[in-house]
Amino acid sequence: MSPHERHRPNGKRVQLMATCLCDAFFDDAAAATVEVLEYLGCEIAFPEAQTCCGQPAFNGGDWKASRKVVRHTVKTFAGEEPVVVPSGSCAAMMFHGALLEFEKEPDLPQVAQLASRTWELADFIVNGLGVTKWPGRYEATVAFHRSCHSRGTASGPAALTLLGSIEGLKVAPFGEGEQCCGFGGTFSVAFPTISQAMGNLKLDHVLATQPDEIVSADMSCLMHMGGLAPKGGRPVKTRHIAQILRDSLKNASATAR
Amino acid sequence: MKYQQIDQFAAGLAREKRAAVYDGSKAGYDSRYKALFTHYTAPDELRHLAGEIKQHAIENLDTYLPQVEAKLQENGAKVHWAADAREACEAVLKIMRDRGATKMVKAKTMVSEEIELAHFLEKEGVECLETDLGEFIVQIDHDHPSHIVKPIIHKNRREIATSFEKNGLGEYNDDPGTITRRARQYLRHKYLAADVALTGANFLSAESGRMVLVTNEGNSRFCLAATKVHIALIGIEKIVARDRDLAVLLNLLGRSGTGQQLTSYTEFITGPKSAAQPDGPEEMHVIFVDNGRTDVLESDCREILRCIRCGACLNVCPVYRQASGHAYRAVYPGPVGAVLSPLLAGKKFPEMADLPKASTLCGACNEVCPVNIPIPDLLLRLRDKGKQAGSAAASAATPPMGGYAILATQPAAWKAALSMGGIINAVPTPLLPQAAKTWVETRGLPPWRGGQFRKWMKQRKKS
Amino acid sequence: MSASSREAILNRVRAALTPLPRRAAYPEFGDNVATMPAFDREADRWTAFSERQKLVNGMPMVGATALATWLRENGHLRGYCDPTLWAELAPAFGPEFSVSTDYDRAQVDEYAFGITRAAGAIAETGSIILNDSTTSRRLGALTPWVHAAVLRRENIYSDVAAAIAALGKDTNIIFCTGPSKTADVEGILIEGVHGPGVQIALLID
Repeated sequence: MSPHERHRPNGKRVQLMATCLCDAFFDDAAAATVEVLEYLGCEIAFPEAQTCCGQPAFNGGDWKASRKVVRHTVKTFAGEEPVVVPSGSCAAMMFHGALLEFEKEPDLPQVAQLASRTWELADFIVNGLGVTKWPGRYEATVAFHRSCHSRGTASGPAALTLLGSIEGLKVAPFGEGEQCCGFGGTFSVAFPTISQAMGNLKLDHVLATQPDEIVSADMSCLMHMGGLAPKGGRPVKTRHIAQILRDSLKNASATAR
Repeated sequence: MKYQQIDQFAAGLAREKRAAVYDGSKAGYDSRYKALFTHYTAPDELRHLAGEIKQHAIENLDTYLPQVEAKLQENGAKVHWAADAREACEAVLKIMRDRGATKMVKAKTMVSEEIELAHFLEKEGVECLETDLGEFIVQIDHDHPSHIVKPIIHKNRREIATSFEKNGLGEYNDDPGTITRRARQYLRHKYLAADVALTGANFLSAESGRMVLVTNEGNSRFCLAATKVHIALIGIEKIVARDRDLAVLLNLLGRSGTGQQLTSYTEFITGPKSAAQPDGPEEMHVIFVDNGRTDVLESDCREILRCIRCGACLNVCPVYRQASGHAYRAVYPGPVGAVLSPLLAGKKFPEMADLPKASTLCGACNEVCPVNIPIPDLLLRLRDKGKQAGSAAASAATPPMGGYAILATQPAAWKAALSMGGIINAVPTPLLPQAAKTWVETRGLPPWRGGQFRKWMKQRKKS
Repeated sequence: MSASSREAILNRVRAALTPLPRRAAYPEFGDNVATMPAFDREADRWTAFSERQKLVNGMPMVGATALATWLRENGHLRGYCDPTLWAELAPAFGPEFSVSTDYDRAQVDEYAFGITRAAGAIAETGSIILNDSTTSRRLGALTPWVHAAVLRRENIYSDVAAAIAALGKDTNIIFCTGPSKTADVEGILIEGVHGPGVQIALLID
């Protein structure tokens, strides 16, 4: 995937795309995203009509169904502000997948307009707002899992920049980092043998560094690994990077008292 | 069919085989990484350049094909054209029959696997002997290769030793050195007794008509030193515009495939042997093979024709590592095969349209591809094509998306589903929809929190 | 059949490409874009070549005596030599050797070594270049366990790009980078498959 050009944010108004997974399962990751962005001075609009980015149908090959959902998303997020999303894969769907899907469609320009202002959270903080050092404190050794849909984008390095700057936080490297965790959307249920094998291999490597938590910018991967681990008798703690950033801030104001 | 075919194959794969494939693939990945990143400061830039070199050639085949044909003829080679597998096989057979030839030695060429040449020739009473060690072992074992560069990555020494003994190549001995020496001894007399040598070509330069063969064993050298007739089977996508392109591609091929700067033998062949040279072919025939390549050229996946058959994508692919090559039911497995094989299948595309589904779209393949093929994008296009073709193979075990699209375009319905979804925690597993059932059989599901974030956000806005 | 297939294939190629709004352009790139940055193209080529040939398990050697000594010590006494070279090399070989300047296919198992000319070499990769016009017998260079390619200093190219630019008209040119090898059996590297197990570059000034 080639890195995509986004328009520089003009001011601090943003729209939040919470993602369907956070809507259904991970409300605290979305809440943490809001708290983090507000700390950075952003004024957040949350268009209530939002549902999903359209990726599940796109990856599954049902592009007709997916386009319907993308069109709804384009309508929902109309405007000029950056759209910030706490998910590398949803962001990539907007700025890469949707462009592929709409190649031959008459409304490609509208989709491209949304794509040009869609940002994954860590990428937005570091490269949109220019924040490279994160205040506060977070005492933990974490394993950072860079999701595959962030491959070739600025998100992975941005997340590491932020995590690496937090006092007390140690990012532990692990082996075979280029190997996918095995989620892959519907792949996880259509190819469950391989999906599990991949996930367990990933857990083997990650847990070998004995981290306190597995952190990612993508809840999908964490849901997969976090769900797999206890079935193998080795439960793990998973956190979205937004939760780390928010909690780090909380610890700062706590010690500042 | 409960789960996808490739997943079922993976589930049935013997642990020993999976370990062999995993270890062999990982070793290939590591050696590639080491070679490229210690030898070059910006290897990804080279990959991008090589991609442009090949894409240019592919998109100008209407110029380069006639051009290279003329060059080859100028150099003294005869040029034949085969639209499909049958024509290619018959062209080979005719060349042999016209000369009363009955014995062929062949170097490794994936095109020959595509057209099932050995099988065809044997039925016609012609001996067709594989000379690449891995392919030789596959042949005597009546097996199929499972990797495009390392055909017996799935076999261990004990299996090979047993095969050798069964085929009269000596008492059981599983020492790799002994196995190799026995093959060397057996094959050298076969080369010298053969009439015809058959090779493929890694590249063909339109500028000079020069074809390139990249090997380590010396088998193609022997084929071309011992026999009088050389037949080269060349897919039309092997053409590059200029000789200088080879400097870039050859520097990437060895490193990407086997971690080598160059393989042991890089052969540049421009025609039959020189007049003064006693050894070698007096005739050279080039058979240009289409066999579905023009279909690929016409499709929106033509970038796959850049492939230089290095195998790097197989080596890094987490799905290939778990399933092994045979899971793909095709000549070309792994990421490249998941694009190429369904497209080359022509009318049989729907039967093969599950191959592009066997991927998480992780993109590791594109990252290692020496010609920067955007494989995940091509897999996505083929998923669209598979859905439109109504492929049952492709849609197996995949939850349908019609209902999802309705929900996701009706915010009121979506929000209602969020509130009601908590019911999922109460439904017994056997009654869940298949996708959910599969998930909870293999993984824990987080508690349903539908609507909680929106509630939180509303309250926050108020305060 | 082939003629109509030719037309059919070329027509399909044209039909496939004509709709493209533009064709991918030939990229601009320097001749040495793929030459290794750390490689010093100004260094003495025989020294650079020898170092790199050793890295690929080839054997650089200087002078006929060194070759004869090595062959004797390793028990390789029967071989083939390019007749145009033998006059020059013979003095270094004692009576214990049996060297033929004719290659007899029937005696393929008898030749332990083959000595032929190299057309050149490549310093960057430690490769020997063979071709039809300078190799007296293809089989003589290929079938024996030991192959010694006789090299002149002035024929060593700096890098792969230079060697490719100089390929010329010979119809069969081979870059030999180390001995023949395979890793087909469990990924274990074995040298000496169908080609030589020992690849010597013999510098004779």
